[in-house]
Amino acid sequence: MRRRALPALIACTTLAIPAAAWSATAPADAIKYRKAVMSAMSAHVSAFMLVNFGKVEHQDHLKAHASALADLGAQAKVLFPAGTDKGDTDALPLIWKEQDQFRKLAADLEASSAKLRDAVAANDKPGTMAAFKALGESCKGCHDRYRKADD
Amino acid sequence: MNTVNPGARPGSRKPPGRSSRAAALLFCATTLGLALPPDSAAATDPAATVERGRYLVHAGGCLTCHTADRPDAIPLAGGRAIKTTFGTFYAPNLTPDRSTGLGGWTDADLRRALREGVAPDGSYYYPVFPYPAYTGISDADVASIGAYLRSLDPVRQRTPEHELPWYLSSRLVMLGWNLLNFSPARFSPDGARSAMWNRGAYLVRHLGHCGECHTPRNLLGAVDKRRELAGNPQGPDGERIPDITQDRDSGIGRWSTDEIVLFLEYGVLPDGDFAGSSMSAVITDNTAHLTAGDREAIATYLKSLGPPAHLP
Repeated sequence: MRRRALPALIACTTLAIPAAAWSATAPADAIKYRKAVMSAMSAHVSAFMLVNFGKVEHQDHLKAHASALADLGAQAKVLFPAGTDKGDTDALPLIWKEQDQFRKLAADLEASSAKLRDAVAANDKPGTMAAFKALGESCKGCHDRYRKADD
Repeated sequence: MNTVNPGARPGSRKPPGRSSRAAALLFCATTLGLALPPDSAAATDPAATVERGRYLVHAGGCLTCHTADRPDAIPLAGGRAIKTTFGTFYAPNLTPDRSTGLGGWTDADLRRALREGVAPDGSYYYPVFPYPAYTGISDADVASIGAYLRSLDPVRQRTPEHELPWYLSSRLVMLGWNLLNFSPARFSPDGARSAMWNRGAYLVRHLGHCGECHTPRNLLGAVDKRRELAGNPQGPDGERIPDITQDRDSGIGRWSTDEIVLFLEYGVLPDGDFAGSSMSAVITDNTAHLTAGDREAIATYLKSLGPPAHLP
């Protein structure tokens, strides 16, 4: 065992150097990832509404959409690293100029999506409606100030 | 790009003849009564009139333009810059301050301002103020709006002067503009349509003045009524304002009535995205405050519009 472990260890350490260098994500990929997460969130919102407002059955799916929104909502704060203001993105440079305010809005999203998950889990209908409204306010608030208007 | 600060907001045609106008009023009072917010007591109870005025000020979108674009701005105290292709306009102070606001205005002053675009001193407003839409507002609604505005705390806040090119610097220019583009007329309900549709038409065309942004304008800056709500590539602040006709591709023809209602309440699009841009403020200041019935009325009216006419 020991004989075999040594070359493995050497291999690991030599590989670790380039691996560390590779770990710096390309801004273009960070932007793609951000868009993918945002799209996933809107898809869950759309599905959530169809169930929540009684357009389709599947009440038992509501939890899955609300939990996914809470998980993804908590990720938003790390999706805007420095250097991802340029490229194929609608994110406005103002985000990186107003980091404090932007972080506050990201924290709002995390909190409101967690509330939605909890209200759905507790089968609290009025709470769910209120949390959905609050979630919408966080989304709108951020898009309003930090996303390029459709042009 | 409109930069409204989240959290800065509070809480949240044809002119009818005399006889047809009377009939229209009667129609309003009887048929539309059901779709209106509680107002039956408004005529006698001053508090109810003020409350109804507060509702109408939201439905009229007054807050969005007449509140400055600052987190600490006082609602309706004016000062917001509105950038248009004709220059930058500053929305005035609507609080009842005597020197900088509407202090001392009578209902007649307000009727003339809202429905004819003329100030108490006889000068003309520029049509950035949507009097061509507001001209349809009923007497009762103007009176309620006046009662609410008079109930506000007066705020002394001077509005900056408009920044306009030389050819628009005289307000008399608007006399000619009005002759070409404007004819005052109250809303006249269409007896062939439902009360819901008529309420929606009143809100969309007049009080809510949706077309002021969503309808394209001609070279003189007048709303092109032949293309109602077909979108405006050069909207306020240079923003592209979308087509909201029933065109299935360029408009919202694929949206259901319920989807329009949800959008007006929450700002959520059918694909789960949330509106940003200037519509976000319209939802926060206006449509989110409406009764469910009024949102449904707006959606009903919008669903009744055909695709835009394709003009050469």
